[in-house]
Amino acid sequence: MRKLIEFRNIVKSFDGQVVLKGINLDIYENEFVTLLGPSGCGKTTLLRILGGFLQQDEGTIIFDGQCIDKVPPYKREINTVFQRYALFPHMDVYDNIAFGLKIKKMGKELIEQKVNRMLSLVNLEGYEHRNVTLLSGGQQQRVAIARALVNEPNVLLLDEPLGALDLKLRKEMQHELKRIQQEVGITFIYVTHDQEEALTMSDKIVVMRDGEIQQIGTPLEIYNEPVNEYVARFIGESNILPGTMVEDYLVQFDEQKYKCVDHGFKPDEPVDVLIRPEDFDIVKAKDGMMKGEVKSVIFKGVHYEMMVETISGTSKTVKMHIMTAHDQYNSDAQENITANDFFMDLEDTAKIDDLDLISRANAHAWDMSDQDLSVDDVDHDIKPAPGSYHVTYSTSKGTSITVKVFVVQPKYVEDARHNIGISAFDIYKTADEIHESMAISTDLKTWADAEAWNLQDDKPITITDVKYDFDPATIEEGEYDITFATQGREYKVETTQQFEEGDKIGLNFGPEDIHVMHRKVQG
Amino acid sequence: MKSFGRMAYPYMAWITVFIVIPMIMIMLYAFTVQGNETLIFHFTLANFARFLQDQTFLNVLWNSLRIAVITTLCCIIIGYPAAFLIAQQDERKQGIMILLITLPMWINMLVRTYAWRGIMLHFDLSSEFKIFVGMIYNFLPYMIIQIYTSLAKLDKNLITAAQDLGANPLQTFLKVTLPLSVPGIISGITLVFLPAVSSFFIPKLLGGGDYVLIGNLIETYFVTTGDWNFGSAISLIMAAIILISMYLTRKLDRQYQED
Repeated sequence: MRKLIEFRNIVKSFDGQVVLKGINLDIYENEFVTLLGPSGCGKTTLLRILGGFLQQDEGTIIFDGQCIDKVPPYKREINTVFQRYALFPHMDVYDNIAFGLKIKKMGKELIEQKVNRMLSLVNLEGYEHRNVTLLSGGQQQRVAIARALVNEPNVLLLDEPLGALDLKLRKEMQHELKRIQQEVGITFIYVTHDQEEALTMSDKIVVMRDGEIQQIGTPLEIYNEPVNEYVARFIGESNILPGTMVEDYLVQFDEQKYKCVDHGFKPDEPVDVLIRPEDFDIVKAKDGMMKGEVKSVIFKGVHYEMMVETISGTSKTVKMHIMTAHDQYNSDAQENITANDFFMDLEDTAKIDDLDLISRANAHAWDMSDQDLSVDDVDHDIKPAPGSYHVTYSTSKGTSITVKVFVVQPKYVEDARHNIGISAFDIYKTADEIHESMAISTDLKTWADAEAWNLQDDKPITITDVKYDFDPATIEEGEYDITFATQGREYKVETTQQFEEGDKIGLNFGPEDIHVMHRKVQG
Repeated sequence: MKSFGRMAYPYMAWITVFIVIPMIMIMLYAFTVQGNETLIFHFTLANFARFLQDQTFLNVLWNSLRIAVITTLCCIIIGYPAAFLIAQQDERKQGIMILLITLPMWINMLVRTYAWRGIMLHFDLSSEFKIFVGMIYNFLPYMIIQIYTSLAKLDKNLITAAQDLGANPLQTFLKVTLPLSVPGIISGITLVFLPAVSSFFIPKLLGGGDYVLIGNLIETYFVTTGDWNFGSAISLIMAAIILISMYLTRKLDRQYQED
């Protein structure tokens, strides 16, 4: 194949923001090339520069052996199908398609022949004299393609041409476009953010991110051998795990060593490991290379998508004491007040403020007509040492209640292997408070002050799981266990077999199912 | 919707009192002769015959139409490039330029015309030229705004598409920009031609009294001569001409759209 277009170090910025950071790309004759990336990655800008509608700040474009940097758009042998079609509303289908030919002052009969050929290529025979503004999205799309192709360009640029169509039509047009490209045999440069579109149609995919090319390859290469985590996540579903390349053909992740087919890494180099969800074989738990529990199952039509937890999270269990409410009634002022005992972290005694004490004890007051009153005075004898102390809450009319506060050195659970620390306090609650809670898991986390963090850098880790064995609607006095846990290792697995949540299964995979990628140092 | 319908009553009353009844009265005057008693009317076509048979009157009518047409054409020729240039600017500049163009319209048209009279007093110019200056000056903003509006809402992608298909800037303008701005030109014509053909104080102030247009004629018969019947007949003839010209413009517009 002959090289048709060369982008050499194309740089472009808008208002000081660099959109393209030196793009180098070769495009060959008769290729279907897709520029793939999220919005803002620079793919459309690159296309517009090639079309001549934008001028690059630096770099050169060679087209068919000639530098075209100074060639105005109307002299470039390139045609474009625009995102919103940009059909001329004052012309019918025929005149839209004939536009370019009329500009070239071609003979009337020749124009008619060419337009008719285009109409049949895009399956719009008989639509010559329709008003373009009254056509459906798919039909407008076809007119736009015909209008561009009738000029017999060497290259057709397509800027997210299917973006405005619904899913079914989009799939149809994908095949249609591929067929047209093969029939006319010219280079298509196609811009999209839809990875599935790119996989379906392209001979070559160019994955872009933040104005840089991440990877260039065939759909199969991009899918099976993404160069980094970004490409792997952008194309298809993926499980990406931190690991270490022990030696060639041996990678370690999740505390285990696995054979793989990758090589050429430094010994013990930190890497990202990719396993596609469909590459797992599901076996009995005892036979699996990994064992896990099915956490969720989603039906996706052809297959089920499951989350399988192979390593459970780090957890901490605390006690919740449910007591009768000991409201204080002040008959002189006709007011009620209530508050709960609570635990407090020794560290927190350094700076105690009234509002904090009120919310920790859930202290509140109300009058006979159920109007909330403010708690105006908080009196306490808390000292910065472990022990039990008293706090008294009162309103302006002297209605008051005294509760116990237990200052403790927090005990946290440490999971040194996964670098996770997790802590939570016992809590005192009344049954009513549990009944009234709108989001019990979130409230329990707040009440128990449950938190988890990375032992090395102190960064917070989300507590994803709150387990309890009571029914919030019918809870009675007593002691209950509450367990707060962080997420363990979960794998996304695709299977056609149906499993239930809670099933124990084994996961198997071969060396060729593992793909090892260099870990990209985040700038 | 029904309850909203009731809100139209005041407007309908307004229209009846200030538009429908006066129109009926003009019709009545035009088709009758002077000296009617309260309930007895002498219907006649004499007023119309008098106008159409008198060469002087026909010359006045011809002059009025000619001046209105030339004024409108000049407004298009000056206004289109102006509107085109404004539409090329960035949004902020567009706002400022449109403001500058509409700003003089905040001052009464009569005052502005007096100003022109003062300015042109010092130059030896023909009455007709002075009237053109006054008319174009007064009506140009309407034309610019209308054309600018249609150019501003033109999809920029269409321009890009035309260039992409090989049209150079001139071809792009002739084949895409211009045809798509025709509706703006048409409404600009409507807004300029109608007041221009019936204007009476511009020719009166700038033409120095010796230049009579149809507006002045009507004014004379109503105010000076007191012949309301003949004045009404001239008004109706004017109205008919305006109606016909509006119909023709609309038809032209539609034909253009279909082509």
